Amino acid sequence: MQKPVQNMTAPAFNFANLLDRVENDRELLRDLLAIFKQDSPRHLLSLKEAVLHSEMKQVQASSHTLKGMLSNLSMDRAADAAANLEQMGRHEERAGLKDALTLLEQEVADLMPMVDSYLQRARR
Amino acid sequence: MNILIADDDRLSRKLLEKILQRAGYDVITAENGRQAAEQLCRPDGPRLALLDWMMPELDGPGVCREVRRLRNLSYVHMILLTSKESKQDVVQGLQSGADDYLIKPCDPEELKARLRTGQRILQLEDKLVEAREDMRFNATHDTLTGLFNRGVILDLLGRELVRIQREQGCTSILMGDVDYFKKVNDTYGHMVGDEVLEEIARRLLASVRSYDFVGRYGGEEFLIVLNSCNASFALARAEEIRKSIAQDPVQTSRGLVAVTMSFGVLSSKDWEARPLEHLLRETDVALYAAKAAGRNCCKVAKCDSFPQGSLAPQQASPGRAR
Repeated sequence: MQKPVQNMTAPAFNFANLLDRVENDRELLRDLLAIFKQDSPRHLLSLKEAVLHSEMKQVQASSHTLKGMLSNLSMDRAADAAANLEQMGRHEERAGLKDALTLLEQEVADLMPMVDSYLQRARR
Repeated sequence: MNILIADDDRLSRKLLEKILQRAGYDVITAENGRQAAEQLCRPDGPRLALLDWMMPELDGPGVCREVRRLRNLSYVHMILLTSKESKQDVVQGLQSGADDYLIKPCDPEELKARLRTGQRILQLEDKLVEAREDMRFNATHDTLTGLFNRGVILDLLGRELVRIQREQGCTSILMGDVDYFKKVNDTYGHMVGDEVLEEIARRLLASVRSYDFVGRYGGEEFLIVLNSCNASFALARAEEIRKSIAQDPVQTSRGLVAVTMSFGVLSSKDWEARPLEHLLRETDVALYAAKAAGRNCCKVAKCDSFPQGSLAPQQASPGRAR
């Protein structure tokens, strides 16, 4: 069994790229991050339950949704981790699933302080 | 221009919605494939769509297939949004009826450029449809009056005769001719003659019901098919139509020109299964009788004029001063 390896070459949060994507609209950026903060725990929970019960279709679906959100926000490392889980779900690869989930959870947890900090600054 | 964004991820919807609103689009959103298909299949639904590949209820390719199957009136340009990059997936998406695809997350400039391409294709389609409709109209309508042309009015009459025979209903044929029209042309010129014919066409159309047919049968001759109108009403209807022409002179570029029309009337009650040519000949004979009676009047055809199964003698044409 091969342990999932963190893709350290990808940036955790490519802020410049994200600003391009939102066309420098800071208000939109704030709204998107707020949606992420609100919705990602629900999707992570759904993914966690799917992993726990080895429901591979649901693993694929939940990690696909998370991958979409993370990619749109240029959270590249976490998006890669979600893409990895999506692949495992698609190919019904159960070995290493929990480690892959842990890696994704860690990546998302690492992002949250940055998200919170941006949202706090935006509120001022 | 309206555009539909279908994505189950509200973050993605919000991002695309804002970018496209800024680019001047009116955005409609759908949270799943079923909602998207319903919106796009409405006759007045959006004609541009961005569809996420993976959606609950119905996926992006499923939406494309449904729209191609159900919406025939106008083309919808559909772009699939996908993180799938394999050739096989792209082929599958395009085969489902999608016009294009974009890899997520989308670059805003590329997204807008692809949508402009879609709009160009839709504009081209609109021009082709408009040209086809113009050609269809010109092939079926008289260019001067805008009424059905001779071929079409006879075809419609033929269909109506089959229908009333099947349903044992009734219908009436009116053949009208402008009295002394040659005099109008000789006195005021052909341009004024055309203006008179145009106004007569307008009045004829205004005098009949929406489900009746009016056509230009010849130079100054018109054929009117009064659907589901029995013999007892046909003459009264013909009189109303005649009065609509006679009551007010026609305003032309050379001043007011007074015109009248004579009508021959034939009602289905009075005929058995006869060929169309016989019926027209008999209506024409009634029109001739109206002319002979002093014009500006209506005469009902007597259907025993000709033996069934043979063509009537050519009594209406020679030397008739219309």
